[in-house]
Formats: sequence, C-alpha cells, structure tokens
Amino acid sequence: MTTANKKELIIGVAMLGVSATYMVMAYRLPGHEGIDAATVPFLLAALLSLLGVFQVVSAFASRTQPASDSSAATQDEPAPTVIEPATVLKTLGLILLYVVLLGPVGFPIMTAIYLYLQFIVLTPVDRKIRHLPYAGIALVTSIVIYLLFREAFDLLLPAGLLNFL
Amino acid sequence: MLDLLQQGFGAVFSLNILILMFLGVAVGIVFGAVPGLSATMAVALCLPLTFTMGPQAGLSLLVALFIGATSGGLISAILLKIPGTPSSIATVFDGGPLMEQGLGVKALGVGIVFSFLGTIFSIIALMFIAPQLAKVALSFGPHEYFAIAVFSLTLIATLSAGSMVKGLFAGTLGIAVSTVGIAPVEAVRRFTFGLSELNGGFSMLTVMIGMFAVAEVIKLAETGRHAARSKVGSVSMKHIKGFGFSLREFRQELPNASRSGLIGLTVGILPGIGAGTSNLLSYIVAKKRAKQPETYGKGNIGGVVASETANNAGIGGAMMPLMTLGIPGDTTTAILLGGFLIHGIQPGPLLFVSQGPLVYTIFAALLVASVMMLFMEFYGLRLFIKLLDVPKHILLPIILVLCVVGAFGLSSRLFDVWSILLFGLLGYGFVKAGMPVAPFIIGFILGPMAETNLRRGLMLSDGNFASFFTNPIAATFLGLALAFVLWQLYSAMRPRTGVLGQVLRT
Repeated sequence: MTTANKKELIIGVAMLGVSATYMVMAYRLPGHEGIDAATVPFLLAALLSLLGVFQVVSAFASRTQPASDSSAATQDEPAPTVIEPATVLKTLGLILLYVVLLGPVGFPIMTAIYLYLQFIVLTPVDRKIRHLPYAGIALVTSIVIYLLFREAFDLLLPAGLLNFL
Repeated sequence: MLDLLQQGFGAVFSLNILILMFLGVAVGIVFGAVPGLSATMAVALCLPLTFTMGPQAGLSLLVALFIGATSGGLISAILLKIPGTPSSIATVFDGGPLMEQGLGVKALGVGIVFSFLGTIFSIIALMFIAPQLAKVALSFGPHEYFAIAVFSLTLIATLSAGSMVKGLFAGTLGIAVSTVGIAPVEAVRRFTFGLSELNGGFSMLTVMIGMFAVAEVIKLAETGRHAARSKVGSVSMKHIKGFGFSLREFRQELPNASRSGLIGLTVGILPGIGAGTSNLLSYIVAKKRAKQPETYGKGNIGGVVASETANNAGIGGAMMPLMTLGIPGDTTTAILLGGFLIHGIQPGPLLFVSQGPLVYTIFAALLVASVMMLFMEFYGLRLFIKLLDVPKHILLPIILVLCVVGAFGLSSRLFDVWSILLFGLLGYGFVKAGMPVAPFIIGFILGPMAETNLRRGLMLSDGNFASFFTNPIAATFLGLALAFVLWQLYSAMRPRTGVLGQVLRT
C-alpha cells in the first residue's frame, strides 16, 4: 500500500468516525415516528456513512496515486514545501490562549500580546525577528481596532482589566 | 425600471456611500491581489463594519468589495505569476509571458479594461434577466425550492476540485452541521448539547470566517516560514497613454471578449461553479478560435482578455440565483447572503416586489463600483503593488484578530469566537484531507432550506414523496441532479480525455 493510499484510508476512517458520531446523536433525538425532526438527520447520517465506506473502499482499490492536482496552478513551483507541525501547534496554542483570556484580560491587552507573539512564531526562517517593530505594530493595531470599533461602529469589545477606563 | 434605477443611483450618489464604496473597492483589490486572501475573506471581514449602517450603505460597501476583489486577482497573476484567486489562473498563462517581455503595463491595462467590460456586461444582463426570473420564481412552492436546493448542492459537490466522494461528503456534512439548533416545523432542539447559545444553530458567518480566514492563518503556520519570497515585478507607468493598449487591439479582441463574457455569465449562473472554472474554459475556447493559437501561452493579450472578461462576467451571473431565489452560487455570494440577512433582507423573488428600490440600489452600486474599479486599479497600481510586499507573518495575525472582532460583533458573545476557532480547525482538517470547502459552506446554507421545504412539501401532500416527482419543475431539477451524479460517475470510470472534463475537475 502506497503512502497516498494510506492517507486516503486514514481520511476514510475519519469520515466514518464523523458519520458514526452523527448517527448516534441522530438516534438519540426524540421522535422516530413517520417524518419528523429526526428524519433528515438520520438520512444525512446514512449518506455520510455510505460516502465514508466508498472512501475506504477506494483507498484499497486504487493502486496508483490519482493525479489530482491541476498542472495549471502549479506551473513553475518546483520547490518542495517544508511542513512544520511545531509552528502549527504553537499557533493553535496562541490562538487558544488568546480566546480563553479575551474575556477576563480584555481585548486591548490580549490582542497586543497575541499579535506580538504570533508575529515571532510566524517570522520566516530567513528573516530576523525584530522585537521593537513587532511590539509597536501589535500595540498600535490593538489600540486602533479597539477604539475604531468602540467609537465608530458602536461595538464594545471586552475591556477586561482595562474596564475602569 | 428606469425610474427605479434612477432612484438607485440617487441613493448611491451620496457622499458617504461613495466614500464607503471607494474604500471598499480599494480594500477589495488588495484582498484579490494578495495570494492567500480572497474575495470571500474581504466580505466576511468587512461585514461587521456594516452592522450599524443602513442596508443601502452596508450592501453598497459589500458589493464594492466583491467587485474589487474579483478583479484584483489579475494584479498578482500578471506581476507575480501567481493567481491571487483561482479565478485568475488562466490570466497567468499569457499575463506572465507579457510581463517578461516588458509588456506588463499593457497586460494589466488589457486585464483591467476587460474586467470592467465583463462586469458591466454581466450586471446589465442581471438587470434584465433577474426581474423576469423573480416573476417566475414567485410561483415556486416548497417542492420546487427543495428540488432546486438539492440540484444546487449536487452540482457544487460533484464539480468541486478533488474526488466526488469527498465533495459529496463535504456537502452532506455541511447540511449535517446546519441541523444543529431548533428544528424547522416542530421546533425540537437538535444537537445543542444543552447549550442555549446553540438554539439558533451556528451562525453562517462564524462558519465562513472560521473555514476561510482562521483556517488560512493555520495553513500559513504550516508552510509560511519556509516559503520562498516572491519577487514583485516592477512596471513603469511613464509614457502610458490611456490604458496602455491601442484602439485597434481593443477592436480585435471584441469577438473574443463577447464570447468569454457569455461563457462567464452562463457558468456564473450555475450554482457551484463560477469564475474559477469559467476563466479556464473561456481561455481554452479563445485559444481554439484564435487565428494563431500557437501564440497563446507566449504572451497573447487574447489570453488575458478571455480569462479576465469571463471571471468578472461571473459577478452578475452569481448574483442572479442569489437575488431571485436566495441561493448563493459560490462562497462569495454565500457570504453576501449573510450580509443581506444581517440587514434584515431575505433575498428571493419577493425581494423584487417588496424592496424594489433597494434592488436597484444594489444594481446601481454594482455599476458605480465597476467604474471605480476601472480607474482605481489602473492608476493606483503602484500603491497596490507596494501592498503586495506586506509580509504575510504580519498580515495574517492581524486578519485573525479581525476575525475575532467580526465573530464577537455578531451578537457580542464569546461563544461565536469559540465557533470560529472550531470551524477554523475543521477548515484546516479539510485542507489536509484534500476535501473542498465550498460544498460544505453551500450545504450549510442550503441545508435548512432543503429540509424546511421537504417537510412543508410533505405536509402539503400528506407525507407522499411522489408529489416531488409529479411537480414538473421539481421533477426536472431532481432529474437533472440525478443525471449529473450518474454522468460524473460515468466519466470517473473511464479515463479522462476531454478538456472540458479536466477543466471542470480543476
């Protein structure tokens, strides 16, 4: 089994997992007499499962890697892309932290901190991390967005610790 | 019609709406030009700004963004040889070589002018066809709506890039996610996990902001640190008269342009496929019909004309099902639908009856935005080129913050911010699995429409499914949907040879 096929198989299994979860939840809905609010979810769950099965079967069936990418879009981009799971995890962590603390700490402070750290995490390998400009951009963006929405668009973003202002 | 249009122009020609539209077109062009940002993202992120505006100002701004972003893709297609959006892929074929030959300005000028002509053509078509279509649609009942929703979903799921199984799965999953919340007809709570915030289901905007914008930031994290920086070509605007090409060249390209405009309009009307397909399709047709087909791909302005006329002609096409039936043809019109709803306007045939002046304000805004785009994009080119240089690692985190603001602004609750995070992760998962996002979005939007009308239709016919097949219009659409799936299955079985099949798959 080729790597491509394995990947397709994993996708198929994930699809089946999602379908099964939805199926179980649809079963727990009240009703099931004639056509009611549970009918459509049930039909959807059945269709999802069916497609999941198709995907798993096709992962076994196809021996060659399907030529899926259009040659048009990737004409002269021969460079292999480096994938960095660590950066993805760091980014996800930062976003999570940002959203968790958005309420208690407040939008202005959290946005500035988040932006500053996220700039650093995403800085390309061939560029230097420039702390001062990063901090400046983060602070200014945060303040501008907060005030702009507060004054011009009547949207009160959570102020958190700065509530006394 | 003329007096309504006059009223529409009257509404648009107020100073604050004109300024808003000016900014909208500019921001749209930037979003279109920067690879990785899209028209959908532009409209999604600017939607929160319109919450406090009236519907006329709000919708004019959104329409301006739409037009700017659709056209902006040609800037990076020609200067960077990277299509800013999928709708400009074919622009690269001849725009790139023209740029290398030092004819960059000419390519840009041709692209911009024919973008403009394509847009205007499609808007005029929209203005004449949409009211007639709305009249027909007025008589549609639940059976017809159910069938049209199913047809649209099938079309988008089977035509999206990648495998048909994945496309159909994405579409079905979208409908499944739309079943969260209080059910239509008997108001049972479904899949809310006891959260009162979920009673109304997930908001359409949180789903789209998550899937398009948040997922994009996560995607950049994966590869962005090692991405080769693209070199922005420079163009000199000195000694440029008009738009950089001659009247003779313009006249020569007119047949090509009208053909491409028609292709773009027709493909745009169909739900599911839009500018991403029509630009390639019309490029192929233009090349076939050209006197010297061998010059295509080596810097023939005809290639740029075909691609750019077609993708912009899709604007009016995509607006047709949106305005007359409330069915979005692609993801950008899907988010426009969100914009309509936020301003308390339900697109559909009744829109033309109850909100006539507003409809014509939208038409007028489309026309004015196109004219703005024509001049701003060409004469403000150097500014837009500078913006292409803004580093992604600065831009995308700021976009994420704007996503958070937009989600929070929907109803001032942090729950929606969590939702965009959830859908951001889902969107990233989709990218990793090679699953197309568009069917999911359209499924999510059309799901409730399909379910509600199925239930209503069944109630009207006492639970008899056969009534969906005895209704001529409903039966036609359901039959077309079935035929389409079968045709796709058939063509998947045998080796692909047709150019058309390949284009539809990309």
